[in-house]
Amino acid sequence: MAIQILQEKWQGQVSLVTIGATKEEGGSRSSVIKIGGEKSLPALFKEGEIPHKPKVALEIWDIHPSEWPEALSKAYKDTLDDPFLWAKKCIKEYNAECICLRLQGAHPDFGDKSVEDEVSFIKEFLRKVNLPLIILGSGDDTKDNILLPACSEAAKGERCLIGSVTQDNYKDTVTSVIRNGHSLIAESPIDVNIAKQLNMLISDMGLSLERIVINPTIGALGYGLEYAYSIMERARLAALSSDKTVASPFVCFIGQEAWKAKEAKAKDTNQGVMWETITATALIQAGADLLVMRHPLAAEKVNKYIDKLFDTE
Amino acid sequence: MKKFRVTFYPANKSIDVTQGTTILSAALSCGVYINSVCAGEGTCGKCKVLVSGKTKEKESILACQTAVNENTTVEVPLETSLDLDSRIDITLQEKAITPSCKHLGVALDIGTTTVSARLIDLDNKKGLGTAITYNRQASFGADVITRIIYTAQKDGLDKLHNAVISTINRIIGSLALEFKISPSEITSVSCAGNTTMIHLLLKIDPAYIRQGAKIPLTNSMPLQKAQKAGIGINKDGSLYCIPSVANYIGGDAVSGILSSGLYKAKELSILIDIGTNGEIAVGNEEFIVACAASAGPAFEGSGLQCGMRASPGAIEKININPKDFSLTHKTILNAKPLGICGSGYISLLSAMLTSGIIDRAGKITAQKNERIRKAEYGQEFIVAPKEETQTENDIVITEADIENLKRTKAAIYSAVALLIKHMNFKISDIKNVFISGGLGTSLDIESAVGIGLLPDLERERFFFLGNSSLAGAERVLLSSQEKDLAEAIGKKVTYFDLSSEPKYMDEYMAALFFPHTDLSKFPSLKK
Repeated sequence: MAIQILQEKWQGQVSLVTIGATKEEGGSRSSVIKIGGEKSLPALFKEGEIPHKPKVALEIWDIHPSEWPEALSKAYKDTLDDPFLWAKKCIKEYNAECICLRLQGAHPDFGDKSVEDEVSFIKEFLRKVNLPLIILGSGDDTKDNILLPACSEAAKGERCLIGSVTQDNYKDTVTSVIRNGHSLIAESPIDVNIAKQLNMLISDMGLSLERIVINPTIGALGYGLEYAYSIMERARLAALSSDKTVASPFVCFIGQEAWKAKEAKAKDTNQGVMWETITATALIQAGADLLVMRHPLAAEKVNKYIDKLFDTE
Repeated sequence: MKKFRVTFYPANKSIDVTQGTTILSAALSCGVYINSVCAGEGTCGKCKVLVSGKTKEKESILACQTAVNENTTVEVPLETSLDLDSRIDITLQEKAITPSCKHLGVALDIGTTTVSARLIDLDNKKGLGTAITYNRQASFGADVITRIIYTAQKDGLDKLHNAVISTINRIIGSLALEFKISPSEITSVSCAGNTTMIHLLLKIDPAYIRQGAKIPLTNSMPLQKAQKAGIGINKDGSLYCIPSVANYIGGDAVSGILSSGLYKAKELSILIDIGTNGEIAVGNEEFIVACAASAGPAFEGSGLQCGMRASPGAIEKININPKDFSLTHKTILNAKPLGICGSGYISLLSAMLTSGIIDRAGKITAQKNERIRKAEYGQEFIVAPKEETQTENDIVITEADIENLKRTKAAIYSAVALLIKHMNFKISDIKNVFISGGLGTSLDIESAVGIGLLPDLERERFFFLGNSSLAGAERVLLSSQEKDLAEAIGKKVTYFDLSSEPKYMDEYMAALFFPHTDLSKFPSLKK
């Protein structure tokens, strides 16, 4: 007798978020990416529709990332001083679909670039690079409070993904994101309740839940990966049980975490690439929808993995 | 060992102490009460005083971290002194009567934060008047745990014992003065208090309450002479303490179960005590299970910028106009505003939420209004400008206050939710909700549900009892049957330990939102 495979039926659905706007939509991007929209847990294709594959974005800094270990920075050779060359390399050589631009240089400890400088930089970047764009602040709350609204203004109509905002610091950025038609990254410290609370606070201000992407905060392999995994799984189970307040796609900053691991920094080995790849593939199974990565080889491996996972024929 | 003289101003009290004694310890030994939330750990910064001596210029230091090394003069600034709160408020029963005979008793409720006493005419079985004051043990820490830790220090137990005894004797003394009687005419005292408070009252080592198996030395105390404990009434007068259930379920909870009638309820009922160590009991005539949520003293008016206990002048109800944030308020006995009491804070939070002054996380989000201004940390909202108050300052609520109140309400709500879940009931199964605590003279249930302090049930199921612990102490003083009942309840209640319950933290985090992260738990509040 054939074994009857038990199948869960879900009521809820993760919201669908589009990043980038083409000419027809009032922007200037050559393409757009869509994340989310799933009606099932990751890779359980028979239980519900999973309309979009997880997407990988490559991370670019506005200043030279001097902290990056050599094993990582050598992948970009001499382009790290020039964000435009760097982006060109990502597109031409590494087939990037989406760019994540981190405005690290605005941080008071990393050069403290002025908001005006960053705004003109963003404008130039949008002119020269026409992929869908994620814009990240400097990580300094006070600075980002002025920086992110200004960048959101400068990128008006391009439907960027802007972030991150936290529970203590969200108001100014949210207002600007609403006005300029972007989507928002809401960051919570590995905590389902806070993720939910932040989503409610943001939607109370008038940004629809369909324009929020959750950054659940993750740990790399060996540095709290399981903890992040279980939190994402819990949030996703709630979302699929039709709790709209957590039904946002996840963005995971894989590169940022993986390259912090001391194992990843080991010289002359592939360990860092593997560390980033494994962290990413594990979190795809926890429900990650958008992966921000650093090493092009790791990104390539993860893309292959995604294609294989979705090859259900 | 050398001895030095320490003199405290403005109290003008002196004491000779051995070299190396801390200033805080010297102060407590001579009856100068200094604020010390952390009980001398040096972490709270509340015990700042100005010291000067022969070799020292006047400087501001922490009293708990500074040893005496010469004859020293100490100035205790107003904000450091606990004597600010040493006022005793007496309210007379509605029909005040003069005691008819020399046969009087006192019912006591010894709380972690406040102590209440009611003078009772034993012949006519009538309460004459109730007095309330802050527990002087507050100098040794705001919660029972810091106080238990303090008892491990040299003479620690003695000091804590003396502090509560002096509070009790002062409160009895002021009642005696008010009714023109001699304390020696009081022949019996009944007392309800949490387990730690009773240990300290009777000078029993409370260390085991928080160690190892977490079992107190004793739950049930024999009837004894009040004088032996140090209570200044008739030398042959008796002292009865209502038995405890467990380390954190004390005689005050048993007393509340007794006076609320929970123990004889036919339907499922719950008793929620909104106090520093908030006890929650659920049950009916067949069973009772209780747990304790260490909520903190916020709803008793302690630890907040303009908080006060429920006494004349406390703002207890507030309405805010959502258009321009103009507001109206009502104070206890309609006196000029002095501060805000627990029920006032509940009403205020609810009004600020519905008028959009704060967001659901408790941050002030409204802008550009004369009532909103920058505070030392974050922002604050002016409830009553100084022209309208009895004090010389504006009465305000700060974002830090809101955070504190949010944590307190979350501790209580999550304990209720978890206890109900643990017993396999649903919130909607509860037919009666008894609420006790020194919040105010009344409680607006709609507001309390609105901020997520109380579960969302039909409003007519709620009953606000006021101080149910004191009411129980009065009952056992007047009737031996009630005393037997109290003993029986003490044995009947099952203890549910929240601190060893892994789900508690999660419930608590989910409740740190107005009204709650899970809105489906508050269906009546949905827009």
